[in-house]
Amino acid sequence: MTRRLNRGVPLARRVLFAERRRAALSVAGVAAALLLVLLLDGIFAGAMAANTYYVRTGPADVVVSQRGVRTMHMSTSVLPTGTLETARAIPGVQWAAPISLTTGIVANGTGRQLSYVIGYDTSSGRGGPRQMVIGHAPALGEALLDRIAADQIGVTVGDTVQVLGTPLRVSGITTGGTSIVNTTTFVSRDEFARLRGTTTAYVLAKASLGTSADRLAQRLRAALPGVTVQTRTQFVASEARITRDMSADLLRIMTLLSFGIALAVTALTLLTVTLTRLRDYAVVKALGSSSLRLVRTVGAQAAWTIAAAVAVAVAGAELISLLLAQVLPTVQVLVTAGSVSRTAVWAAVVGVLAALGPLPRLARVDPATAFREAA
Amino acid sequence: MTSTLQTMAPAMSARGLTKTYGVGDTQVVAVGGVDLDVAAGEVVLIMGPSGSGKTTLLLMLGALLRPTSGSLLVGGVDTTTAPQRDLPRLRASHFGFVFQDYNLLGALTARENVELACNLAGTTGTAARTRADELLARFGLTGRAGFRPEQLSGGEKQRISIARALANDPAVVLADEPTANLDSARGHEIARLLRGLADEDNRSIVIVSHDQRLREVADRVLWLEDGVFREVASMAVDPVCGMQVERTGPSLEVDGITYWFCANGCRDEYLTGRAL
Repeated sequence: MTRRLNRGVPLARRVLFAERRRAALSVAGVAAALLLVLLLDGIFAGAMAANTYYVRTGPADVVVSQRGVRTMHMSTSVLPTGTLETARAIPGVQWAAPISLTTGIVANGTGRQLSYVIGYDTSSGRGGPRQMVIGHAPALGEALLDRIAADQIGVTVGDTVQVLGTPLRVSGITTGGTSIVNTTTFVSRDEFARLRGTTTAYVLAKASLGTSADRLAQRLRAALPGVTVQTRTQFVASEARITRDMSADLLRIMTLLSFGIALAVTALTLLTVTLTRLRDYAVVKALGSSSLRLVRTVGAQAAWTIAAAVAVAVAGAELISLLLAQVLPTVQVLVTAGSVSRTAVWAAVVGVLAALGPLPRLARVDPATAFREAA
Repeated sequence: MTSTLQTMAPAMSARGLTKTYGVGDTQVVAVGGVDLDVAAGEVVLIMGPSGSGKTTLLLMLGALLRPTSGSLLVGGVDTTTAPQRDLPRLRASHFGFVFQDYNLLGALTARENVELACNLAGTTGTAARTRADELLARFGLTGRAGFRPEQLSGGEKQRISIARALANDPAVVLADEPTANLDSARGHEIARLLRGLADEDNRSIVIVSHDQRLREVADRVLWLEDGVFREVASMAVDPVCGMQVERTGPSLEVDGITYWFCANGCRDEYLTGRAL
């Protein structure tokens, strides 16, 4: 309260926003550049969330895979025979379930989708979909499709789709399994064996009550030296890393470009505002302002421009993510707090750099010019 | 009045104030060795032809321009020897400025223009706002407090400019052609306001102008030519209308005292009043 009462005239803000159209255009320009970064970041965050959805939201605490294989994405895993039985015998394992996994095409006459095809034990349901919207677990000759993929290729329960080239009846619809890259289709282990053979790709294990995931993973590693054992957290982190590695270069280029644009727009705005207000600044100096105070004014203008642009960009990204969810449901845009923080920090750096432009001119403002006739 | 003022300790005292530009053959003396004492409550009008050095002198008096030589004492401080970094603070604490073009900040309202000057003098928040409102009220501008300069007339702008000049409660107000952009009525109004600042607040007012209308409110008129004062005219007060008048017009000697009048009408009125 005391601080508010002690506040002076907000000269920086008044001068910056005196010409509202120019201010709005400047903020919009910077916001557009930041929006690009946020959206790109959000798209990759969405892809990461979708790619990790199956393991992240599943009940298993530990994932066992072929030695050296740490992800499902961009990987092929085949576990040695007996892995499942060994895992089930480890103390602290409440249950262990095998899944088969391959990548292929799910299609019908009107469309096709790249898909993970997961074979799971339908009698226990372990390793199956996290959430089924409608229908029942797939029997032989049946498959579960994700809702977004089913909508895109125009099929529903009871229809027939080609899974890995074999016609299967859609027995149910699931959710959460479709990303910008692919979808997830579930079949029974028996159906998978018919399609691709009886290999086990991963074993999912649930810890008993009182056993931590880390402890269980240690025991599994000790008992199964020829495989890779990761807790769910580690597996999700590995999935996220591979997605991030694939997108890092693109993100870096786009981020640099966007911040370059933001820097140019902000610098131009501050320079224009300063040059058009030089007489005002001369008057303020004549009235007793120090050059440092004027420097702070320009700094505050940079801060206002950046803050407004970040706010607009975040709101825009949220809005676009909502719109995309309706129009392009495969494209999930996740505007995370981390992404907003990173963008804001970069934008602040842009603001500081942009504010440096007008400073030399500002330092040279002669208060005596206030006494010369205006042009 | 003039003699009384001149016997008081000056609020501002300049000695040998000189400003030269260039060196050697190209050296130009803009102001050459000016001495000037301005008493509290005194209005000094500096006139002179264009290029005579009036504005240069005003800038030096206002600590906006370093003189080449000389001294200027204001509030016990010699502004000519003060470090450069201290000059803004000196200006903010000792001087009020009134500009020819008003120089109000277009992005701010009338109240904010005055408030900003308060801020620069070290007063912020509610205290600054209250001070700004009081000053605007003093000059009949309460209803204009929320208006931007572009929404105001020339006279209103100059009154706000004067209000702003008083924001820091300065001992000295320096006015540069304060009536140049105003019509006759508004010009007289501003002249009276400046006189009022001297009479009511005991401030020293230094006006640089070509405007003859301002002679009527000045205690002294100084003629600056080629950077030096050529002539000093002491002004008297017309005992009838109260106007400042030169000691060259109609006059009357009564009981050994010479009274000066703005016109014969005032002198006749004075005589009639004495006869009754």
